[in-house]
Amino acid sequence: MHTTIEIEALGKQFHSPSGQWLFRNVDAKISEPTTIAILGKSGQGKSTLLRILGRLIPPDSGTVRLYQKDITQWEAADWRMKMSYVSQQAVMLPGSVEDNLRTVSTLHQRPFDQKQARDLLEQLYLENLDWGKPAQQLSGGEKQRLALVRTLLLQPPVLLLDEVTASLDALSKQAAQRLLLDLHAQTDTSLIWITHDLEEARIACKRIWFMANHQLLEDAPSESFFHAPQTAEAKDFLHNQIATVAATEEEPR
Amino acid sequence: MTYTSMWFAFAFVLIALLLSVWQKLGLEKEIAIGTIRSTVQLLAIGYVLQFVFHSDNALFIVILIMMMISVASWNAASRGKNLPGIFWRIALCLSITELITMGLMVMLGLANPTPQYLIPMSGMIIGSSMIVSSLFLTHMNREIETAKGEIETLLSLGASTRQAVQGVLKRAVKASMIPTFDTMKTIGLVQLPGMMTGMIVAGASPIEAVRYQILIMLSFSSSAAISAVLISLLSYRLWFTKDSMLRL
Repeated sequence: MHTTIEIEALGKQFHSPSGQWLFRNVDAKISEPTTIAILGKSGQGKSTLLRILGRLIPPDSGTVRLYQKDITQWEAADWRMKMSYVSQQAVMLPGSVEDNLRTVSTLHQRPFDQKQARDLLEQLYLENLDWGKPAQQLSGGEKQRLALVRTLLLQPPVLLLDEVTASLDALSKQAAQRLLLDLHAQTDTSLIWITHDLEEARIACKRIWFMANHQLLEDAPSESFFHAPQTAEAKDFLHNQIATVAATEEEPR
Repeated sequence: MTYTSMWFAFAFVLIALLLSVWQKLGLEKEIAIGTIRSTVQLLAIGYVLQFVFHSDNALFIVILIMMMISVASWNAASRGKNLPGIFWRIALCLSITELITMGLMVMLGLANPTPQYLIPMSGMIIGSSMIVSSLFLTHMNREIETAKGEIETLLSLGASTRQAVQGVLKRAVKASMIPTFDTMKTIGLVQLPGMMTGMIVAGASPIEAVRYQILIMLSFSSSAAISAVLISLLSYRLWFTKDSMLRL
C-alpha cells in the first residue's frame, strides 16, 4: 500500500496569552513515496510541524490522515510506528550501544536482526563501535548516527527527520544522506526532512515545503523551487542562505 | 502532665520567638501560627480520641481513619497540582495500603482490633504512606522534565506510554522509598522515635516500647513499598494526554 498522507488546515498556536499562531492552515498531500525537505528560517514552526506529524504534540487546528484514516482513529503507538520522528538532539537511552540497538526488538518483541544492525552501522562508518560501551559516552556525531540506525531498525514507512545530519562531519553527513536515499529507493520509505543545508535539500529531496509568514508558503518540486521560487519570501530566503554560505566559505581560516 | 505544666512548655516557643526577633529572621508569624495550630489540632484530636475510645463504636474508628486518609491525600496531592484526578488516586492508594497493613497486623495478632491500637497505628502508617506518595510525585515531576527526550524517543519508536515511562517510574519509585529504609538503618542510633519515646514517658517498659516500635518500623517497609508501587501504577497515565502525548 502506498503512503498517503493528507494534512488539512493544520495549525499550532504559541502557548502564550496572546494565542498567536505559529503556523495555520497548512495543507499538503503526499500520495506516493517521496522525499520532502522542509525549509524556512528558524522559528517558522518546522520542528513543531514534524512533531505534530510524529504525534508527539497535538495540533490546535486541523488534522492529519494516514492511509485515509484520521490521526485520532489510530492507536498512538501504531501511528508512531508508521511515522517515526528522529530528533535533532540525539537522545541515547540508558544502557549500552547494544541496548539502544535492541530497543525496537525489545519493545515489540521482535527477533533482533544483528546482521541488519551491523550493515546499517557499517554504512554510517560505525562498524568499529564497541557494542558494550555505554551509549552516553559516545561523541555527538556517533550518537546522532546511532539514533538514526535505532529508528531505521523499526522500518517505518515514513521517517520524520529533524536536522539529523546537522551535527555530522562532511563524510558522515554524505554517508547518512546516501543511506537514507538508498532506503527510499529500495523500500519506498518516505522521508520528510528538515534541513538548513540547501545542497542537501536539493540533492536528497524531490519536493520542498517552504514555511514562512506562519504558513506553508510553497509546496513545489525541488527543481522548480530552486530555479523559480514563486514567492518573494522564498526568493529572499534562498538569496540570504546562498549569501551566508558564500560568506562562510570565504572566511579566512 | 497537668494543663499548668503544659502552659510552661510555651517557654520553648518564647525562646524561638526571641531568637527570631534578635536575628531579624522574620519568622515570628510562622512560629505563632505553627504554635497555635499544633496546640489546637492536638487538643482537638485528644478529645476526639477520648470520645472514640470510650464510645467503643467501630463506625467512629472508620470515620476517623477516613478523615486521616482524606487530609493525607489532600496534602500529598498538593505536590501534583498539574495532574487532574491525583487526589482520588492517592486516596485509593492510601486506603489500600492501610487495609493491607492494618489487616495483616490484626490477622497476625500483632495489634488488638481496638481503637487504642487501630487509630494511632493507622495514623502512623497513613502518615508514612503520605510522605512516600508526596516524594513519588515530586521525583516523578522532576524525572519527567529531565527525561523528556528519553520518553519521546521511546514513544517515537512505537512504545506504549507504560513502556516509555518505565525507566522514569522505576527511578521515582526507588527514590520515594529510600528515605524510609534510610530511617530504618539509623533508628535507635541517631533518633529515638516518637512512639517509643511516648510509651517510655507514659511508664511502659523500654523493651515493650521497642517491640512496638520494631513492629511499626517493619510495617513501614511494606507500607512504603505498597504505596510507592501502587501510586506509580495508578498515576503514571496522568503525565500523558489521552492521545498518549507527554503532558508538559
